[in-house]
Amino acid sequence: MRKTSLWEKDKYRFLIPTVLVCALLVSFPFVYMLYTSTQYWIALRPERSFAGLGNYRSVLLSTEFRQSLLTTVIFVISSVAGSIVLGFALALVLNEKFRGRNVIRALLTIPAIIPPAAAGFTWKFLLNRDVGLIGGFFLPLLGVKRALLGDPGWALFSVILADVWCQTPLMFLILLAGLQAIPMELFDAARIDGAGFGQVLVRIIIPLLKRVLGLAVIIRFIFAFTTFDVIFTMTGGGPGIATQTLPLLGWKTGFLYYDLGQAAALAVVMLLITVFFSSTLVRMVKL
Amino acid sequence: MKLEGRWKLFGIVFLVIYLLFSLVPIAWVVISSFKTHYQTLIMPPKLFFKPTVTAYKNVFLGGMGKVFLNSTKVAVIDIFAAMVFGIPAAYSLARFKSGVTENIGFWLLSLRMAPAFGVVIPVYILMRRFHLLDTTVAVNAAHLLINIPFAVWLLKSYIEEIPVEIEESALVDGATRFQTLVHIILPVSMPMVVTVAILIFIFSWNELFFAFVLTSSEGMTVPVLVASLAGSMTFNWPLLCAISVCSMVPAFVFAFVVQRHIVRGLTLGAIR
Repeated sequence: MRKTSLWEKDKYRFLIPTVLVCALLVSFPFVYMLYTSTQYWIALRPERSFAGLGNYRSVLLSTEFRQSLLTTVIFVISSVAGSIVLGFALALVLNEKFRGRNVIRALLTIPAIIPPAAAGFTWKFLLNRDVGLIGGFFLPLLGVKRALLGDPGWALFSVILADVWCQTPLMFLILLAGLQAIPMELFDAARIDGAGFGQVLVRIIIPLLKRVLGLAVIIRFIFAFTTFDVIFTMTGGGPGIATQTLPLLGWKTGFLYYDLGQAAALAVVMLLITVFFSSTLVRMVKL
Repeated sequence: MKLEGRWKLFGIVFLVIYLLFSLVPIAWVVISSFKTHYQTLIMPPKLFFKPTVTAYKNVFLGGMGKVFLNSTKVAVIDIFAAMVFGIPAAYSLARFKSGVTENIGFWLLSLRMAPAFGVVIPVYILMRRFHLLDTTVAVNAAHLLINIPFAVWLLKSYIEEIPVEIEESALVDGATRFQTLVHIILPVSMPMVVTVAILIFIFSWNELFFAFVLTSSEGMTVPVLVASLAGSMTFNWPLLCAISVCSMVPAFVFAFVVQRHIVRGLTLGAIR
């Protein structure tokens, strides 16, 4: 019992900062976001009034929302799938032991930790028709001479490519960490039994990595769903609204049209979608 | 596991292609930053040209040094503030377990799932009321919103692994809780504190959205400058490239350090 009393001492004094941090940093933004979403509220104007679910109705029924939702679905699915597949392949290759492995690993990490805005610029520059290595040199060699970011379909493809470029390293590092936790003996045993790499991959690696893969997908989903920087820097949502995903729509609504109520409502809707998908995924892979 | 035969060949080819895909874009920006505007327009690009540092001179003599100073200030202050609030909170969450504290942990995490444009609304309104828009203070506060929960969660998972016994002996000897935290837990947790500090630096340095909404000129950070120039009709390509390269410098510096820790950071301790 001596131990308990010793532990109980000071307990509350130490929890005070925690409670404060939570109250101030987490509850406040959430509560305020919910509150704002129920108000007709244009920033810079003093008057505001209770809207009930009015903002939600306006957001969900607008054609721009539906268009952006579709763009977001295409963006999220392609970007998540692309970066997971590439990251997994990289992890398998770099799980081998060879000289220079650590240097390659570090070099591969760079695109993930540069500012996403700089990554967006990098690709915009690369694809530019006048000065870009791809848009100005490689594509004309193949007979393609067009402004990729000016064409709706190609622009969406380009922002997905840039996002995959930024996000693959993280998936690679997460999956590599997962791979390294698999005991070597399992592979040796499989090898002795005459299993080829394809069989090992399907029968051993993927089942054992299920949990890590699930986690990678959840993290990647949340990131892709809330991606703003890369798209904003590359196209600003354009041409037209061809690359306008939900976060860009939210930014436009809140800070270009100053409709804080509708922006908050959209944020709440997005949060609900995120929570729904994450918890479904968690249950599916039994994290 | 050893890849053999054609799988090995696939592996090598794939790795080489991916490395090119990964690094050529950055190399292209770095190379272009040493060109003159006229040289960037030459297609096909010349392999050899006379490099110039004019673009870099323009960045730092053209008044853009302040932007880099702002970013550094925000990142460094954020690290300290996140530690001052985060360490005691992480400690209490790790050591005083109850249903309530477990839930607090989850709530801290949920903020990271919310879209930034929703979270920024209350911050924006508050900052406008206190006339702090377009200051680095506003950016700092916004980044702390993300960084404190992040620091708390990572440090908590680390402190949980430190055996309680080393603390108990100090407590029995009459040390206060605060003393055990400072003299026993903190030194042992140093590797994690450094990791968290680096990750916070990178987050804060890279963050565009909050900074973009909250600042317009005086308090502007590097990503805001990059994004607004890239979105404008500025066609001074070497200058844009030079700014981008400067914004990437922390990434180049930390790439070797963070690759081990970034996984733990991003999975919030679930994978290490």
